[in-house]
Amino acid sequence: MVNFKKLSVFSVFILIFGLFIPKIVHAEETLKFGMADPLTGPAAIFGKDQAQAVTWAVEDINAAGGVRGRKLEAIILDHQAKPEVGINAINRLVEVEKVPVFITAFSNVVKAVAPIANRTETLMFSVGANAPVIKELGDYVYTTFPLADVDMNKLPTYLIQKHGKKRAAVLFVNHETGIDGAKVFSEAFKRDGGDVVLFESYEQERSDFTGLVLKVKAAKPDIVHIHSVIRDFTAIVSQMRQLGLDVQVTSYQTAFNPKMIEELGEGAEGIIVTALAPSVEDNDNLQGYLDRWQAEENREPIGLPYTQYFHDAPYIIAELFGKLIDEGKEINGTNLRQALLEIKTFDLPLTNAVTFSDDHTVDKPVYYWQVKNGKFTLIGKSD
Amino acid sequence: MEYFISLFILASINIILATSFNLILGYGGLLSVAQPIFFALGAYCSALIAIYFEIPIFLSIILASLVAGIFAFGVSLPSLRVSGDYLVVSTLGFQLGTLHIINNIEITGAAGGLSNIPPLISHPYRSLLTLFIVVCFAVLSIWMVRKIMRSAYGRAITALRNDETAFSSLGRNPIRIKVLIVALSAAMAGFAGGMYSHYYLYITPEQFGIFATATLLTMVVIGGAGTVLGPAFGAIIITTLPEIITFLNLPVSIMAPLQGVIFTGLVLIFIFLKPSGLIGSTRGLDGLEIWKK
Repeated sequence: MVNFKKLSVFSVFILIFGLFIPKIVHAEETLKFGMADPLTGPAAIFGKDQAQAVTWAVEDINAAGGVRGRKLEAIILDHQAKPEVGINAINRLVEVEKVPVFITAFSNVVKAVAPIANRTETLMFSVGANAPVIKELGDYVYTTFPLADVDMNKLPTYLIQKHGKKRAAVLFVNHETGIDGAKVFSEAFKRDGGDVVLFESYEQERSDFTGLVLKVKAAKPDIVHIHSVIRDFTAIVSQMRQLGLDVQVTSYQTAFNPKMIEELGEGAEGIIVTALAPSVEDNDNLQGYLDRWQAEENREPIGLPYTQYFHDAPYIIAELFGKLIDEGKEINGTNLRQALLEIKTFDLPLTNAVTFSDDHTVDKPVYYWQVKNGKFTLIGKSD
Repeated sequence: MEYFISLFILASINIILATSFNLILGYGGLLSVAQPIFFALGAYCSALIAIYFEIPIFLSIILASLVAGIFAFGVSLPSLRVSGDYLVVSTLGFQLGTLHIINNIEITGAAGGLSNIPPLISHPYRSLLTLFIVVCFAVLSIWMVRKIMRSAYGRAITALRNDETAFSSLGRNPIRIKVLIVALSAAMAGFAGGMYSHYYLYITPEQFGIFATATLLTMVVIGGAGTVLGPAFGAIIITTLPEIITFLNLPVSIMAPLQGVIFTGLVLIFIFLKPSGLIGSTRGLDGLEIWKK
C-alpha cells in the first residue's frame, strides 16, 4: 500500500508539470485572444454553439488573410457558468496563454472575473451576459451585447401598444439575470400604463411549478412574462398548458431556442421572445450563416442571437489588433482598450454596426419573434 | 505564474476547509453536510464587515471565523442530540435555509452575489503574499488538528466516535465534545471562507450549495478521513485535477463526460479498493473504515 500512495502522489505531480510546462515554452506568432464559456454542465447547450461560432469566425478571418498577415487564434476554455471555475480559466488565459484580450459570458462569471481584467489590465468583452451592473465593473470591462435594460425596457411598450396587453404576471428565477430582467420589465410595464398583477420569484433547481402556475391563474393576467433559464421556462410553460392556462407568454432572448419549441410542441404556439441581433431581413450574411449550421451541424444554432454576437466578437478583436499593428504599438490590454475607445464603431458581419458608448455598453434595436406553426417568425422591431 | 499561484491559493484554502471537515467527519464520526455553509458564513461576514466597518481585513476574517463558530455552536446544540441520518437531515436543512436567506437579502448581494470586496493585500505581489499566508494557515490547521488528536481530548473524541454508549457510561458528556469540535471546525471553515472572499473578491450563494458539500466530501474520502494529512492531499488533487484535465486539450465531447467519470470513478475506486483513503493506514480505523463499524 505504500507503493500505491507514492505512485498516486507521483502521478499527480507528473501530470501537473508534464502538462503545464510544454504549454508555457511553446510560443507562436499568432495573435491570441481568449474565450471562456460553459462547454460542460447545464449551460453548455449555449456555450458549445457559441464556441463554434467563434471558431468559424476565426477560420474565416484567417482564410481572408488574417490580421495584417498574422493568424488570429482563439484559446477556448470551459467555465461551466461557475464563478470559481471562471476565475481559474481567466487566470490561465491571462497568465499562461498571455492573451491581451478575452471574451466571456454569463453574468455571475463576468462579475467574478472582472477584477482580474482590471488588475491585469487585460481588455475584457462580455458577450451575452445582460445584467445591467456589468457596465459598472471597471475600466477594462466592456460589453458587446446590449444589457437587459435595453430589450426589457422596450418589450412592455410593444406589448401594450401593439397587442393591447394591460395586466402582466412576471415570473423569474432568483438569480441575477432573472431578478434584474424582471425588475426592468415590471417597471417599464407600469411606466407605460400597464398593471403588474403578480411579481413572483422561484429558487433555482426547482422543477415543480404547480403552485406558481395556480397563483398566475388566480391573478388573471393577460400576459405572463417569464425571465428564467431555458429549462425552467420550458417547464413553467408546459405546466401552465397542462393546467389549462392558455395566456400569452413572453420572454427574453434565452427562450429564442428551437429546442424549446421542440419540447413544448403546440404549447409553444404564440410565445413572444425578444432578440437583440438582426434577423435575415436586416442582415445580408445571416442566411449564409444559418445555411452553414444546416450544412455542418444539420440544425439551427441554440440561441441564434447569442451566437451572432459571439461570431462577431473576433472581428472586433481583429480590428483592434490591426489598428495597433498599423500604428506600430505594442499589443497589450491597455493599447487595445485605447484602440477600442478610438474606433468606437465597428461594422460587423452578423450584428451590423455596433457603437460602444462611454458607459461601456452598446445599444441595438430589439427584434420581436413569435412562435407560429412551430417556427420563430419575426413580428416586429423597435426603433 | 499568477495562474499557478491562484490555483495553489485555492488548494490551500481547500486544505483548511477539508481539514476542518475531517475533524467532525473523520475524527468525530459526525456526518454533517453543512460545512460549506460555515465557509459561506465566513466569506460573507468577513466581506461585509470589511465593506461596512472598514476595519483591517485580517481582523474581519478573524471576526467572521468567530461568527461561523458561534453559529455552529448554536445550531449544533439541538441537532447533535441526534446523530446518523437525523444529523444529515438537520444539517441539510440548515444549509438550504441559510442559503435561501443569503439568496434573498439585499445586503449579501442576494442571488447576484457580493462584489467590491476589499482585498486582503493590495500590493504588486498580492497573490504571492496571499499564497504565503494561506499556506502558513493551511499548515497551522493541519498541525492544530494533529495536536488536538494526539492530546487526551483527541483520545476522548476518538473514544466517543468508536462507542458513544461506552463513552457516556464513563460519566463523560458526549454532547459537549461534539458541540466543541463542530464549533472549532466551523470556525476553521469560516476562516477559510474569509481568506477566499478577500482573495477572489466576489462570492455568490451558488458556490456554497450541495455540490460544494459533495466536493468537500470527495476531498476527505479520497485523501483519507480520520488521518491528519489525507484531506490535505485530497484537497490538492480535487482542486488541481479539473485544471490538469483542461491542459489535455480534449474535444468537448470527451472532456464533459470525462470530468464526471473521473470524480465519480475516484470516489468509487477509493470506496471499494482503498476505503482508508490515499494516506490512510492499512491498520486501525481510518478513512471510510470508521463507517464500517
